[in-house]
Amino acid sequence: MRTIATIPASGRPGLAGWQRYLLTILACAAMALVATPLRDVLDLANIVMLFLLTVLLVAVTLGLRAALLAAFLSVGLFDFFFVPPRFSFVVNDGQYLVTFAVMLAVAIITGRLTAGLRQKADESATEAARAQALYEMARDLTGALTIEQVVDSTSHFLANVLDARAALLFADSAGRMQTAGASVGVEPRLATIAFEQGRPVDCQPLAAGYAVLYLPLKAPMRVRGVIAVAPADSTLATEALLDQRQRLEAMASLVAIAIERLHYVEVAQRTQVQMVAERLRSSILSAVSHDLRTPLTALVGLADSLTVSKPPLSSAARETAEAIREQSEQLCSLVGNLLDMARLHAGEVTLRKEWQPIEEVIGSSIKLLGRALAEHPVKVTLAPGLPLIEFDSVLIERVFCNLLENAAKYSPPGAGIEIRVQVEEGRARVDVIDGGPGFPVRDGAPLFEMFVRGAAESTTPGVGLGLAICRAIIEAHAGAIAASNLPQGGGCLTFFLPLGTPPVIEEEVAVPQPGSET
Amino acid sequence: MSEAAPIVLIVEDEKQIRRFVRTALEDEGCRVFEAETSGKGLVAAGECIPDLVMLDLGLPDGNGVDFIRDFRHWSDAPILVLSARSHENDKIWALDAGADDYLTKPFGVGELLARARALLRRPHRGEAASPVVAFGDVRVDLSRRVVTRRAETVHLTPIEYHLLCLLIAHPGKVLTQRHLLREVWGGNNVESPHYLRVYVGHLRQKLEDDPAQPKYLLTETGVGYRFQP
Repeated sequence: MRTIATIPASGRPGLAGWQRYLLTILACAAMALVATPLRDVLDLANIVMLFLLTVLLVAVTLGLRAALLAAFLSVGLFDFFFVPPRFSFVVNDGQYLVTFAVMLAVAIITGRLTAGLRQKADESATEAARAQALYEMARDLTGALTIEQVVDSTSHFLANVLDARAALLFADSAGRMQTAGASVGVEPRLATIAFEQGRPVDCQPLAAGYAVLYLPLKAPMRVRGVIAVAPADSTLATEALLDQRQRLEAMASLVAIAIERLHYVEVAQRTQVQMVAERLRSSILSAVSHDLRTPLTALVGLADSLTVSKPPLSSAARETAEAIREQSEQLCSLVGNLLDMARLHAGEVTLRKEWQPIEEVIGSSIKLLGRALAEHPVKVTLAPGLPLIEFDSVLIERVFCNLLENAAKYSPPGAGIEIRVQVEEGRARVDVIDGGPGFPVRDGAPLFEMFVRGAAESTTPGVGLGLAICRAIIEAHAGAIAASNLPQGGGCLTFFLPLGTPPVIEEEVAVPQPGSET
Repeated sequence: MSEAAPIVLIVEDEKQIRRFVRTALEDEGCRVFEAETSGKGLVAAGECIPDLVMLDLGLPDGNGVDFIRDFRHWSDAPILVLSARSHENDKIWALDAGADDYLTKPFGVGELLARARALLRRPHRGEAASPVVAFGDVRVDLSRRVVTRRAETVHLTPIEYHLLCLLIAHPGKVLTQRHLLREVWGGNNVESPHYLRVYVGHLRQKLEDDPAQPKYLLTETGVGYRFQP
């Protein structure tokens, strides 16, 4: 996993405890000051009311603890400054003790109630703000076009609303989690657990700045990553953060959906680019193929029409025409080989695999070569009970054509060619055996490289693409190809094709003739 | 073939290819018309009413398949498609659209004439077709539904017989896999071509001298099958 970003911390404005108490003291002192000139005008009971008002105001603005402090302070100040004898806590009239007790009780109760109400109001305002923030984050995520934007929205939300920061982690291609450069400390093992098991993991932070909660980013298709959350400043807020777990989980699923959406956007874009590239490549190949083949087709046809022209040509001219035809045909097959190789090398040849008997392509390739095999009778030996094999018939036909052509090219006229097919070690084994001198004794591999020919200086035509094409096709079928020499002479090219589980052909009941049509 | 010289229309954009095809066909006794685009080809076809069309699939104004569709609206004269190798899909589309056969570029004069003769020989609609088809030492009596080889009855299953009838009903014509599957097994089995391959294999076993190198029931790899009498 790699860490995409760390969400920064940010403080939240508010009054520290000592500031609240100072304000409380000041408020009570101020009330004592204001009330002092009024003590001749007002009854002491009304002075009590003024102090109670102060406690109420403190409770509303500064909270419960300040209100409690204000209650005691008010009673003290009232006693000291207003109850005779003044400037002393001594009380002449015992009735004032009741006043103090009632005053304290009323102050504490009203303070508590007010502060409680205030706290509830604050809490619901915070809740509303957080819900609003979550909604806004959801809205931002819907419009996010990059991972960075997702990270921004998430960090904004966490910092402003939950007083936390986080690191987003994603699985790399190897499925490992990496936390390079994160300012939120991440324990990779816990992140992996959250990622693999798809459940939240919380823990005691290892040190300040370490994540306390690992939430999996669970999207509809799969877990997309992990978000590791840490409180913004100190470990003190850990509890508060864990209290917000539901909200954090809601956030995690929003992020997960956004990331999955981005993932599919990327997949769609990549596919489109690939499709465009593929279309371009194939249109270039077919344009080249068309432009090269058209004049060659004309050349073959024109030369051929000379050989059959009426009145017939002189035998020398006829031979020339035949030679032109032959050479053009060779050029054409060379062009075909080069284009095939280009297609195969581009890796963009899609196999149209179908289950079929292999003898069918053997038959069609022998038929296709026709004249080239005129001097080399082909014997086909099939092991009984050969299963259907799954392959691309056009490409495997190409393999047979190339192998047969090769065999014919390197065999003396009249020498036969044999094709044997059998099952060997769970694979189909095909041997093409010629009556030629065999392959030069070298390590077999270079034979199948492009432009490698058995006999470098020979007059036999060809540039050595044939076997390279065979290898590319066979390898695309997850097979193998090799050359060997037979002890009794002659070369043997062997290729293997994997056998799968062929589909079942339902037997049909034979009816005696004259039968009826289905 | 009718008594009058057969009329052949060549739709091909390459002048030199048209030239040698024309020479070869004229030597064979055909009257030849030419067009270099699919649009001009349709107009020319309307004027000369060809007995055979030779159509290049790579025309500058279309892929040739449109030509076949338009032409098939009013004529069922055979169409021979000229196409480059490794374009199996183009061939299948052309054949499914109504073409009869294809010739892979480059091709020699001999091949060209052999295909043209086979297509021109095909009985036209309305002519009485014989109920007996013979090839090699096989006789198929369609009226009695009896297949004999060297005077011995060959037992065929209903599917084999149906497949054989389809193939021999269109001598020389390439029938696509999809077409055969649909005709014999119904529309639901178009995606199971192995059935077709296995049954063609059965027919070859029963009717061909060397099933591995068939003479009559030929495979057009990647495209379909052809009955070559």
